[in-house]
Amino acid sequence: MALGLTLIFSILDIINFAHGEFYMLGGFVTYYAFAVFGVNYFLTLVLAVLVVGGAGVLAERVVFRHLRGKTLNAFIVSLGLLWVLQASAQLSFGVLDKSVPSAVSGIVRVFGLVISRERLVVIVTASALITALYLFLKFARTGQAMRAVAQDPDAAALQGVNIEAVSALGFGVGCALAGAAGALLAPVFAVSPTMGALPVVKAFIIIIVGGMGSLPGAVLGGLLLGAVEGIGTLFMTSAAVNMLGFLVVIAILLVRPRGLLGVA
Amino acid sequence: MTPRRSLAILIVLAFAVAGPGPAPAAEKTLTIGLLGPLSGGAASYGVELQRGAEMRTDEINKAGGLKVGGDVYKIKLVAYDHKAQAAEAATATNKLVFQDKVKYIIGNAVGATCNAAQTITEPNKVMFSFVCWGTANLAPEKPYSFRSMLSQWELAEPFYRWVKENHPKVKRVAVISPNDTSGKDTNTAVVKALKGLAFEVTADEYYERGTKDFYPVLTKLLAQKPDMIDVAAAPAGEAGLILKQAMELGFKGAKGWTAGTNPFTIIGVAGREAAEGVWSPANINVKSEHVNSAVRKFGEAYEKRYGEVPGVIAVANFAAFDVFTQAMQRAGSVETDRVLEVLTKERFETVWGPLVIGGKETYGIDRQFLYPLVISEVREGKIVDITQVLPAALKKK
Repeated sequence: MALGLTLIFSILDIINFAHGEFYMLGGFVTYYAFAVFGVNYFLTLVLAVLVVGGAGVLAERVVFRHLRGKTLNAFIVSLGLLWVLQASAQLSFGVLDKSVPSAVSGIVRVFGLVISRERLVVIVTASALITALYLFLKFARTGQAMRAVAQDPDAAALQGVNIEAVSALGFGVGCALAGAAGALLAPVFAVSPTMGALPVVKAFIIIIVGGMGSLPGAVLGGLLLGAVEGIGTLFMTSAAVNMLGFLVVIAILLVRPRGLLGVA
Repeated sequence: MTPRRSLAILIVLAFAVAGPGPAPAAEKTLTIGLLGPLSGGAASYGVELQRGAEMRTDEINKAGGLKVGGDVYKIKLVAYDHKAQAAEAATATNKLVFQDKVKYIIGNAVGATCNAAQTITEPNKVMFSFVCWGTANLAPEKPYSFRSMLSQWELAEPFYRWVKENHPKVKRVAVISPNDTSGKDTNTAVVKALKGLAFEVTADEYYERGTKDFYPVLTKLLAQKPDMIDVAAAPAGEAGLILKQAMELGFKGAKGWTAGTNPFTIIGVAGREAAEGVWSPANINVKSEHVNSAVRKFGEAYEKRYGEVPGVIAVANFAAFDVFTQAMQRAGSVETDRVLEVLTKERFETVWGPLVIGGKETYGIDRQFLYPLVISEVREGKIVDITQVLPAALKKK
């Protein structure tokens, strides 16, 4: 989810507060396809990526394209989009939590650590997605075009890169990653219209710590926040652990204002 | 006397005997407010509150309205969502009291929101009934506030007394609740009951509402090797996730849900395997043989209308509407001070059976609805009632 958020920021310079709602949409695609209509779980993941990616492209074309270069306007519009999508989901899907059955059950013990197979699927799939995204951006022609737009849109345009197409694709891929996260975590947690509220806050902490716009930074920030929260919970109350996450953000930004792997 | 004169006298006499007749009762509208988390993680509470209120409101209106003194009132229900947040609750209460001009707010959940609402209801003499579980919600300085559902202070002691007598292997208990007024108060009551009954409390733990990943907190909690986990004040969605993830981490002990309001929903979230064996003293199974025919009838009508089995909150708010409207009829007025006098002195026949308002020993004032509690257990995806016990305060009544 944080990867998608930072990808969108790096290409379009948009802070997308509605990113959690694309994560929620991925959860509901899984709920309806897998839990209600009995579609194969792994096909459901692909479906969620396509549907949410498509929704992202649509959002870019209809809304964000017209706000390129107007960061503050786009920021406010994304807040509005958050409420519109959340309220629409409440009206369409109801307000109660919906349970998605486990696609894989049982637990795995690794060196004394216990982890459910369900979570193992999440870790493996998320790692595969991160690797695929890295390879796509590094070697694919379109991926290189995205990086070029992220670095300097004007120079990229002069080299013949179609800025509008790359922006739409970048927004779509970013949203698709959020959709994949929602789809992967739907059986682990539960789905509800407000399920994106907390993850998007954490995603922002992660990308700020890692460095806005930096993909490796997002991965590093995620691992760091996970470790801080996981270890912190052993010694502190839940409220103190939440505070600790923000204290880490403040500390890192004071020492390194661009974030761990951010560039000027 | 001529026949014509006789006829005239008869007509005059007939009018004299019959008289003009009583004036038809004037039909008025009585607006009753409702607050609740109608969206967000605690939405299941608010939805049940609203549905319970709608059921009783529609019953009254379909029967021609509420006859109070010489007037007939159509009930109009106005509900606002406060998302389980105190600030939103204060705003919603202000709207109900000053914009909608309500004198009765029947229904609210989540302790912190009750405190916020009471800062407006009490000074304005607005009758306020709720299912919030904070101890401070009932107090002598809050005479217009009532709790319409048994709270942890009535439930925890008889529940754990039953655990001790029937499951003697359970000696070490871990308690976990949301980190807010409801959660703190519930854990306090549960821990007090546990210590009073000589159980060992291995964890008195809290989490932030909205949490989905309980692995970190459960890792700490399970390291203390409890025989039982009580997901005390957790709402169904979060309680289900805690039990599911505890099972994934290898927990196989007993499970309790002291504030468990609708075990059907916990099965939905946790799955049958993780929910198996959960004990709940706060629930009511409307299909059980332990409950009276009025509750069963309510349950059937509710399921037909909403497609779900009602939990205890729906029943509690239906009963609260019933008690308050009965009190208005007995008082012959909708004035809150006159209704208050009736409420605190009389017994009421409700879906719970005979209902008494007490609780002075715990709260310093009789404002707690008291009725028998039923301990239930989840068995193979179904809710099975095990026994019925009386809260200590009701025994004294």
